[in-house]
Amino acid sequence: MPPLVSFTGGKGGTGKSFIATNIAYLLGLERRHLLADLDVEAPNDHILLGVKELGEKEPVPIFFPRIDYSKCTLCGACAKVCDTGAIIMSKNRPPIVMPRLCSGCKACLYACVYDAIKPGARIIGFMHTTPVTIGESAFTLITGVLHQGEEHTAPLVHGVKSRALRRAREDSVPLLVDTGAGTGNSISIAIQYSDLVVAVTEPTPLGLHDLRAILEITRGLGMRTWVVLNRAGIGDSDPHRRLAREYGVEHYHEVPYAKEAVEAYVKGVPVVAYAPNSRVAEKIRELYDLMRPIIAG
Amino acid sequence: MLDSKVELVVASGKGGVGKSTVTSSLAIVAAEHGYKMVAADADAEAPNLHIVLGVASWDREEPYYEGRVAYILEDKCTNCGVCAEVCPLGAVEEKGGKYWINPFICEGCITCSINCPEHAIRYKHRVQAGWIRLREKTKYGFPLVSGEITPGRPNSGKLVTEVKNYASKVLGGEGLLLVDAAAGIGCQVISSLTGAHLAVLVTEPTPAGFSDLQRIHRLTKHFMIAPMLVINKYDINEEFIETIEEYARAENIPIVGRIPYDPAVPKSMAKGVPVMEAYPSSPASKALKEVSEKIAGEILPKWREFRSKYKPRKPEPYIPLILHDTSRG
Repeated sequence: MPPLVSFTGGKGGTGKSFIATNIAYLLGLERRHLLADLDVEAPNDHILLGVKELGEKEPVPIFFPRIDYSKCTLCGACAKVCDTGAIIMSKNRPPIVMPRLCSGCKACLYACVYDAIKPGARIIGFMHTTPVTIGESAFTLITGVLHQGEEHTAPLVHGVKSRALRRAREDSVPLLVDTGAGTGNSISIAIQYSDLVVAVTEPTPLGLHDLRAILEITRGLGMRTWVVLNRAGIGDSDPHRRLAREYGVEHYHEVPYAKEAVEAYVKGVPVVAYAPNSRVAEKIRELYDLMRPIIAG
Repeated sequence: MLDSKVELVVASGKGGVGKSTVTSSLAIVAAEHGYKMVAADADAEAPNLHIVLGVASWDREEPYYEGRVAYILEDKCTNCGVCAEVCPLGAVEEKGGKYWINPFICEGCITCSINCPEHAIRYKHRVQAGWIRLREKTKYGFPLVSGEITPGRPNSGKLVTEVKNYASKVLGGEGLLLVDAAAGIGCQVISSLTGAHLAVLVTEPTPAGFSDLQRIHRLTKHFMIAPMLVINKYDINEEFIETIEEYARAENIPIVGRIPYDPAVPKSMAKGVPVMEAYPSSPASKALKEVSEKIAGEILPKWREFRSKYKPRKPEPYIPLILHDTSRG
């Protein structure tokens, strides 16, 4: 398995993508690697990296039931096993499948004893592969994008993550993962198999509340976890430090709030490249140096 | 004041742009205007509205049960690995030749157990997937309903639907249902927008904020919701404002407010008091007050008129990308 480090945090807008893209830039100065943006509902890593257009696009299909009405006996088994309510059956009528509700789990396929359900496919999103070069740094960005109107993010995150993992293994390069906001199972899938989980938070009670939910997952799975408190200085960070200790977090790291960070964010350049001498860049480089033995492989 | 139930959703696509700050300010001002109303926190994976409103305890807390979690009976399992092959989410992990099911991923779909040749997979039923909480009266007078998913559980959108139904019941008929949505455009947000009449879209003048604004706006168009736009932290990147304004003009979205970046906002959060109350004369408070007055005082009393003026001309279609069977038959 190639080294895998993921960046998550619970609350939106704490700086997950900000930290992940800066670390990706620094790692890219040393060696080739993959950065997977698994925030499929609102992917922004390419914007923070100044990428104008996403590269090569491939569909991510999941299973979709195709009903063979000549074989269907209207027994109702498929509708009964469907947990998402995607298969609707009214009295003496053949089943109808609602695409948006279907999560592609195949329970109906296996439950049908009359072979009336055939494996079809539905594209729930896409995966883009984009080469990124910023100065001397070079790496590959993989971006998952949810198809507009779809609601099941978990199977898409799983699809993109598996492809990214496979590619990292084939090329023997490290993989960095940036997750979306939230604390549901889409996030657990994104951080699965990580050698290190970096939970990015902010010094507000909101950041604290959602950090706890993420730490519940990483502690529950016995994963090696660090906490990065971004925008240090805009509020009280003591409770976050205490929470990190309570959950046995291995390392707690503060990255200060800085004007340069906002400017770099808006310009689409990692701050470590935009203002290398700033305090915020210094603290991110410090974080990278600590992480290096884990990610550089 | 309202002769029917009006659902107003605050959404943004991108996280951390100020949804909860806008929602809380609007809720307080609407309550001052005397609306019969309920606020609902529909971000079950990261519920924060209660913190912004200074709610530290609940009057009612109901456990929310949903779904199943699969587990493997070790004495029956022969470690054949079929379950790991068929699991649609990769929840079955292998550790030293043994298989186990990651409970923070499993959705309980029964695909593994149907396929297990040894019948070695069982389910934990009645899983507590979260909480639904009610504060009957916040200090601003209105009730708050909030949902929270258990970390690692799926389908938070279902919980959001429950939260909205609960809030509607508390509201009891006509009045204002003010919904604070999650980040993103997935199941939670779709549940928040279903049935809504009006949406306050919050953005910030960064390329990332703008990209996500367009995504959430397309989704409101699908649901035929009349949008209005609030640009938060507008002064962090003023040169970008024109791009957003141009989009708003072209898409017929009225801009109802511009709020400056203000350190008073995080400071007030640390105190657990809404910024309008903690620092009433701060620039952000004044701007939040102004936009909330506009919505509560001008838009809501004539919401039908507003809706017919700004409702999308036609719904943005949802086109599922279904492929034909490629394997057999």
